[in-house]
Formats: sequence, C-alpha cells, structure tokens
Amino acid sequence: MSYTIPIGPYHIALEEPYKIEVECEGENIIGSSLKVGFNFRGIEWLAQRKNITKSIALLERVCGICSNVHSMSFCMTLERIGSIEVPERGQHIRMVMAELERLHSHLLWAGVASELIGFETLFMQIFRLRESVMDALESISGNRVNYSMNRIGGVNRDILDDSKVREVARAICAVTEGILIPLLTTDQTVIARCQGVGILTRKDAIAYGVVGPVARASGVDTDLRRDQPYLAYGKVDFSVPVQTAGDVLARVVVRALEIVESCKIIDQVLDRMPQGPIHAGDIYSVPAGNAVVRIEAPRGEVFYYVASNGSDTPLRVKVRTPSFANIPSVAAMVMKNTIADVPLIQAALDPCYSCTDR
Amino acid sequence: MTAEETRLEIGGVWTERADGWWLSVPATSIQKIARTMLKAEARFVAIVALSEPSNAMQLSWHWDMGGTLLSVVSLLAEGVSVPSIVDIYPGADWAERETRDYYAVTFEGRKDTLPLMLRNGDKPGTFLRTSGDRL
Repeated sequence: MSYTIPIGPYHIALEEPYKIEVECEGENIIGSSLKVGFNFRGIEWLAQRKNITKSIALLERVCGICSNVHSMSFCMTLERIGSIEVPERGQHIRMVMAELERLHSHLLWAGVASELIGFETLFMQIFRLRESVMDALESISGNRVNYSMNRIGGVNRDILDDSKVREVARAICAVTEGILIPLLTTDQTVIARCQGVGILTRKDAIAYGVVGPVARASGVDTDLRRDQPYLAYGKVDFSVPVQTAGDVLARVVVRALEIVESCKIIDQVLDRMPQGPIHAGDIYSVPAGNAVVRIEAPRGEVFYYVASNGSDTPLRVKVRTPSFANIPSVAAMVMKNTIADVPLIQAALDPCYSCTDR
Repeated sequence: MTAEETRLEIGGVWTERADGWWLSVPATSIQKIARTMLKAEARFVAIVALSEPSNAMQLSWHWDMGGTLLSVVSLLAEGVSVPSIVDIYPGADWAERETRDYYAVTFEGRKDTLPLMLRNGDKPGTFLRTSGDRL
C-alpha cells in the first residue's frame, strides 16, 4: 500500500519555500510531484515597465547568491542588441566577479551539504573559506551580496588593488586541493551518504534539460565558458570537470573540482588584466531589436532574452534561470530512493527557489 | 549529430545571428522538430512568448547543441493553441505551464496544464492583463 508525504513549502534543507509530495511504498519512493511559485515576484513583468537602468538593479535581485550574473547577463543582452563593445578591462573585471561569485556559490552549497550529511566540522571549515570570498567581493565592489558592478557597456568599479583577490583565490585553491577534494572523495561519511544516491542518468539529464554541475555530474560535457566563450574566457586555460555516475557524490566532486578551476581562472585574468577604460560611457537605451545571451552561472546556464523597441524600456525580458531547468529533474532523481534521502537529493541540486520563481 | 546536421535534417531557411541560428516555422511542426532535436541529443533551453501589437503572439522554442543555440519561432494568431512537446521533452513541462500563466497560451496534448507560478484557479495571462503604468 502506498502513501503520500508532503514536504514543504517550509523546507527541511534550505530556507526557501518549495513543496514536494512523495509517494512511498514503505520507505521507498515510487513517485513525486513538485510545486513552486511561492516566491513569485513578477520580476520579468516589472522589468518591462521600468527603464533599463532601473532594471539592472531589479534583475540583480533575481537571486541573492548569483546576483552579479543576472545584472551582467541583462547588460550583455542589451549590449548585443545595440552592438556595444565593452572595453577589455571591463570584460576582465566582469570575469573576476563572475568567478568569485562561482566560488561563493559553490562554497555556500558545499557548506550546506556538509551540514546535511552531519559533517559539522567540514561545514565550519567551508564557511570560513566562503567568508573570505565575500571579503574579496567587498574589497572590489563595496558590497557583500548585491554588488552593483554592471552597467550597459562595462562595469561601475575598477579593481585598483588585486592583492586581496589573489590571496583569497590562492588560499581557497590550496585548501580545496589539499583538504576538501581528498576528503570528499575518500571520507567514509561522505561516500556512505552520497554514493549511489539520487542518480540522474545521462539520458534523463538530456530529456530534462538540466544544466551546469548537475548536467556535468551526469556525463553531459557542457560549459558555455568553453563551448561558446564570452568575455575573455576564450583566452584563459581551464578544464571542465565531468563525472559519469550521476549521483549526489558526482555532483559534490564536480563542484569541488570547479572551485579549483575558478581559482585558476581568477589568477590568469588578474595576470593578463589590460589597462584602459572599464566602460563605454553612459548608455540609457538601445536600438530596436532582440537578442539572447547565455552565461555559465554557478548553477548552470542562465538564459536571457530581451526585446527592445528602441525606447529606454524593454518590450520583453525573459529570464530562464539554471534552477528552473534543474529542479524538475528531482522527480527522476528521487525514484527508487528512500524518503530519508530526499533532503540530500534536493540539496545536491543546489536549488535556488528565489531564482526559479523570480 | 552536430548542430549543422540537425539544422539540415529539420530543413527550412535558418538565419545565423550573433546569438545562434533562427528558423521561422508554423507551430504545427514543433513536435516533429522536437523529436529531431531529441534524436540529436539537443538540450531544451526555454520557451519565450512575446506579445505582438496586433494581439498576435510570437512564440520561440530554444535548444542548445554543443553551445550553439537553435531557435524556432512561430507567429500565432490570437487564441490559437500550439502542440505541447512535453511527451518528447519532459523538461519543457514548466516552460509550457509558465507560458500559459503569463500569456494564456494553450498547449494541446497535455494531460493537464496546472499553474506553475500562479495559484490554482487564477486566470492565466497575467502579463497580458496587467498593462500597468510605467514604474
């Protein structure tokens, strides 16, 4: 006999609302349904009624963790419509911000996941590292969360002293390579809790259209920074970690390896940082047209579509966040797992319900 | 299959833009295109609805193949429904439900189309109904 257990909208893993109803036979899950929309703020609707300068600040509020990627994607879409060239230094500063944000996001997630599997010491160590990333972001932008760095045609602030950023990136790289990765791949607590749990096959990953680390942990070798380079990603050397197991452990490992790659990218970008202006001047509107821009955010591909009629207010702003693409695959991941695995499987997605609902 | 081979198999006149390849088709052919995309292991990305001044609706479906964006666009007359691709790409479920929520587009062939962002019983078409003042 089967029974249904509702979990949420108050969440057991993350402090955001989302609901999953799992149908069980004994402890085993045989079906599930998801409900989102509790955070719906109508940000796209609002962006179509504000001028583009105000919309940059608005779209930065889509997500509290990857806020920079949203304002950057929006600006890059408008730059594509208007054929606006961003000065090279501005592009490099955007890359530093994007990779610091990836470090912040991955470390935050790794900390939350450690706590979930009952590894309190690791949680503390990881959050100490995360704090240093926030310090680095603050040293550049003056802010620890919403950085207000992006404008149409470049960035608002220069990196005047890169020593703090270099120091943080090198320290995180050393700890991740020396402690975090060996621990995550050999520790019995981690392996026992994560291996073979919440498997998403490569076939399901394609059918559900998952993105980012979730896709790469299921053997889908994709990363827009490499496949469709934007900013100056084509000029730096980095690897794209891919795992084939498709389980929670694979997602853990992919993100840990990505932390190292991000640190390498930051180091290279700071080394090759060109001199010159950081933006293309004051731009308040773009010509009529439409464009798509896709960026590899920490959680995967962000999709922005903007249509302009030539005024200062966008005709259409469409935002497809990575969590919107990833969360539906929970239905495939929880099948044949036990009810006790649901919080970990959900958390392994690194879901953001604020992003999803917009 | 590469993005180029997929474009050739789908046929039609594709236009290259800075953001990828675009094709205009009647909405009735979207299921056939989706099957070809799945066979080629293209990743479904998004559906974008754009309300036209003439009350028509422009709908675009987007796929990714190895970093190349393949976009298929249809212009719909007011009130016309479009075939669902959920049975081909389960990942399109939320995209279709959200498009119904915001623009009241009906997707045919689904078992049901529950609201995604709205509450059960809310009238679909939030973005159409609420023109609102400039903020």
